[in-house]
Amino acid sequence: MQKLKPARFLDPALDRTSIAPNETLSHDQLITWYRTMRLARACDKKLGALYRQGKIVGAVYLATGQEAICTGVVSLLERNDYFSTVARGLAGWFLRGVEPRHVIARWLGRDVPPSHGRELGLFFADIEHYGIAPYHNGSMASWIPSGAGFALAFKIRKQPRVYVAFTGDGATSPGDFYEGLNFAAIHKLALVVIVENNCFAYSTSTDKQMPVENVADRAPAFNIPSEVAFGNDIFEVRRVAKRAIDHARAGNGPYLVEFKTFRASGHGEHDDMGYVDADLREFWEQRDPLRLFAEYLDGPGGLGETAVKAIDDECTQVIEDAVVWAEAQPEASPDTVGDRLFAP
Amino acid sequence: MAVITYLNAISQALRGEMRRDENVILLGEDIAVFGGAFKVTRGFLEEFGEDRVIDTPISESGFTGAACGAAVEGLRPVVEFQFADFIACAFDQIVNYAAKNYYRWGIPMPVVFRGPSGGGFRGGPYHSQNPEAWFTHVPGLKVVQPSTPYDAKGLLAAAIRDNNPVIYFEHKHLYRRIKEDVPDEDYVVPLGVADVKRAGSSLTIVTYGAMVHESLAVAERLSGEGAECEVIDLRSLSPLDRDTFLTSVRKTSRALVVHEAQLTGGFGGEVAAIIAQEAFDVLDAPVTRVAALDVPSPFAAALEDAMLPTQEKIYAAAKEVLEY
Ligand SMILES: Cc1ncc(C[n+]2csc(CCOP(=O)(O)OP(=O)(O)O)c2C)c(N)n1
Ligand SMILES: [Mg+2]
Repeated sequence: MQKLKPARFLDPALDRTSIAPNETLSHDQLITWYRTMRLARACDKKLGALYRQGKIVGAVYLATGQEAICTGVVSLLERNDYFSTVARGLAGWFLRGVEPRHVIARWLGRDVPPSHGRELGLFFADIEHYGIAPYHNGSMASWIPSGAGFALAFKIRKQPRVYVAFTGDGATSPGDFYEGLNFAAIHKLALVVIVENNCFAYSTSTDKQMPVENVADRAPAFNIPSEVAFGNDIFEVRRVAKRAIDHARAGNGPYLVEFKTFRASGHGEHDDMGYVDADLREFWEQRDPLRLFAEYLDGPGGLGETAVKAIDDECTQVIEDAVVWAEAQPEASPDTVGDRLFAP
Repeated sequence: MAVITYLNAISQALRGEMRRDENVILLGEDIAVFGGAFKVTRGFLEEFGEDRVIDTPISESGFTGAACGAAVEGLRPVVEFQFADFIACAFDQIVNYAAKNYYRWGIPMPVVFRGPSGGGFRGGPYHSQNPEAWFTHVPGLKVVQPSTPYDAKGLLAAAIRDNNPVIYFEHKHLYRRIKEDVPDEDYVVPLGVADVKRAGSSLTIVTYGAMVHESLAVAERLSGEGAECEVIDLRSLSPLDRDTFLTSVRKTSRALVVHEAQLTGGFGGEVAAIIAQEAFDVLDAPVTRVAALDVPSPFAAALEDAMLPTQEKIYAAAKEVLEY
């Protein structure tokens, strides 16, 4: 098999090993986003451990290496905008206020809202408290049509709100991706599609998934704007996603942004990633979004190493405490299995 | 009151619900400018505007998913499939998204899927199917199938007001054939309540949809021969009103289950199993089913007639049960 050269892992035009914002940001903002990403990383690490201890049963899916994308995008949203993501967007949930202890309790199958043991920690929806909409039916790309539907409701009610659908690269091949975007483009709905191209769909590399170089190359079929950007740089994520969100909010219709990134853990923790070459891993390891962000904060960002380290330690502690809390939550009672099938 | 067709009853319910609740919107292929393949929504675009009567591209999964999302956001979308056969293209959104959403998240999804279904008019394999059993197997969906204009209007109003996904199968062959007096004003026929369409004490015929009319015709014929059939129209398959047919079987001790869909895995099997389990002690004859043959719906008249349940087949089966 032909080995990919490092230059081919990422278009050199997008590549960088240090990052810096092109907007004025307060320390508070920087700390909030960094902490969110670090919390997600710490949570993932713990979830992996709980899985290996047999405490999380079935499977567990992490987001290691992709934290900058959802953090950057969600940092731009208004409170009444919706977004939806599976656990690959864990940091996005956290930024909206979802608590790690609840996430962990759900992975443990505990009786906590909103799913009360009926759904994996992989999925999450709670409109009332977090503006995170139920959009995913388990089937890849199914959320593009439903996302169009949320945005249709916004349009009919003349609300300047947007719906952001996070999507993997593999999920851009099923028919729903086309049907949903086609509908949204015809009606100029405020649907922003954020593609997290992490080089793989489970074990299948992107060149076996699509005949084009970039997912963004598919956008002309819908006559919508699209961009390709580097997803491990939170500042770039904000820069590009802002254009997309502004465009959609202004009533100009959908917008697709493809962020190049890398899934640094397996598809799930059962997956040893034997199909990933060592040099590809190493290439992306140099570009880990937390590493890039921390280096900026240590240096030009002016936060300093001690402050960054304090955040890291605090996050580790939050997750430790979260596990204690989560494990103390009750299991769902078998008596509830038939409850809540139909809405009153 | 006015005598209207089954098709007009459906239109009336839609118009009535759209007038009383601005959250009700319609999506489907050719429903706006053209008024629908069967003209159910003729004039709706003019009355309600293009925000509420939406011509969709040919993408059943796409507009079904969009309707589901809009429903979560508080609209009450009614999706028209041009033919129920093409609901297959939207299967995933219905069985994996709509059906499970409330169970997973406790967030309601009030959406209605209208499927013009059924054969008998030479529609061939893709314009004749009765796919109700694909969906009655899925927890979280409500499935209804009216047989009369009165029920068509009341069940559709109830479906639209319900806070759950409801699949509403309307039989194309009844559209213009069946007429009756229907109140002009709005009313609902509650979901999950069967209707005794004819009282009798000799044999219970449990049926729904187009086969209600065939069963009633057979009941008339048998009445002339001294046997009185009770014809139960299920109207709703999910939720299912077991009590009405079980009460009837306890009275008649004989049960015949009739539907137009294919036999194997058809909904009649569920009804028969319930009767066998719950009323075994009173049965004087085996619970018997009449349904379509287990083949696709063929086009040619002779073939389709051979495939569909007919009055002759229902009559023959009823005689067997009565004489067992
Ligand atoms: C229609 C469908 N087929 C298969 C699966 C199983 N599956 C879950 S995730 C996944 C890979 C998704 O890849 P991608 O969209 O790139 O997202 P990533 O996991 O890389 O974040 C597969 C095949 C599924 N959920 N839905
Ligand atoms: Mg992927």
